Amino acid sequence: MASSQVVKVLVVDDDVLTRRIYRTLLLRFGFEITEAEDGKSAVNKFIDGNEYDLVLMDKDMPRMDGVEATRALRGMGISAKVVAITGDENSRGAFLDAGADEFLLKPLNITALTDILKAFNFLN
Amino acid sequence: MASAPFKAQLTDLLNSMFAMDFLDEQFKELQMLEEASGPGFLTEVVTLFCGDAERIISQLDALLNEPAVDFGKVDANVHQLKGSSSSVGAKRVALVCIKFRNVCQENDKEGCIAALHEIRHEFDELRKKFQTMLQLEQQIQDLDSK
Repeated sequence: MASSQVVKVLVVDDDVLTRRIYRTLLLRFGFEITEAEDGKSAVNKFIDGNEYDLVLMDKDMPRMDGVEATRALRGMGISAKVVAITGDENSRGAFLDAGADEFLLKPLNITALTDILKAFNFLN
Repeated sequence: MASAPFKAQLTDLLNSMFAMDFLDEQFKELQMLEEASGPGFLTEVVTLFCGDAERIISQLDALLNEPAVDFGKVDANVHQLKGSSSSVGAKRVALVCIKFRNVCQENDKEGCIAALHEIRHEFDELRKKFQTMLQLEQQIQDLDSK
């Protein structure tokens, strides 16, 4: 985990509405949330020295898509858990090949995400 | 309690929206999130969605009025609308978006125009119901806080 006890999450999605929903959900768990509106912004946050325990990654975004961003993060040696959340069901293989840990289809199923967070030991 | 009749109206409205497929299970997930996080969340989400949808529908109208339609841009906008409508549980809007993408991928301009009319109709119907829902919620909140 990142240095503090609080789980630090980077939410990466170009849709404001989606980011708002994820933020509300994750704040319930007491997580610390940072948002990025595309893959390039997400990668830049790590380049700037920020640390995150978990990345929720959309696929179709301007400047850099989620698969490319995931590949870039793994190439930088970033070990944060990456959960791909996208409406593109055909991108599962690409995401996992790029180094994502889990893949969920939109719309987000809260129970499915909660189960993943428990499996990652981010929740009791 | 003074708010009881408004709560009954709200329950009836939401039940009918689910029964008529205006909303699906995803909206129930958002309702659960509001229960846990406090009032205001659904209002914000619904308001964001309506603003988003209105903007995208206007954009689609402009794109389809171009002499040479860029079906790639049309598809990207419909994809975005499908995503946000699915996120709030706007089932009928999301379903029309799927139809729209199918005709778009065939570069069928007339089909796209027809699909846009259908999206506009479904969104207008949904928006009216959301406005009623938000008004009832505000009335309930005002009465319960007295």
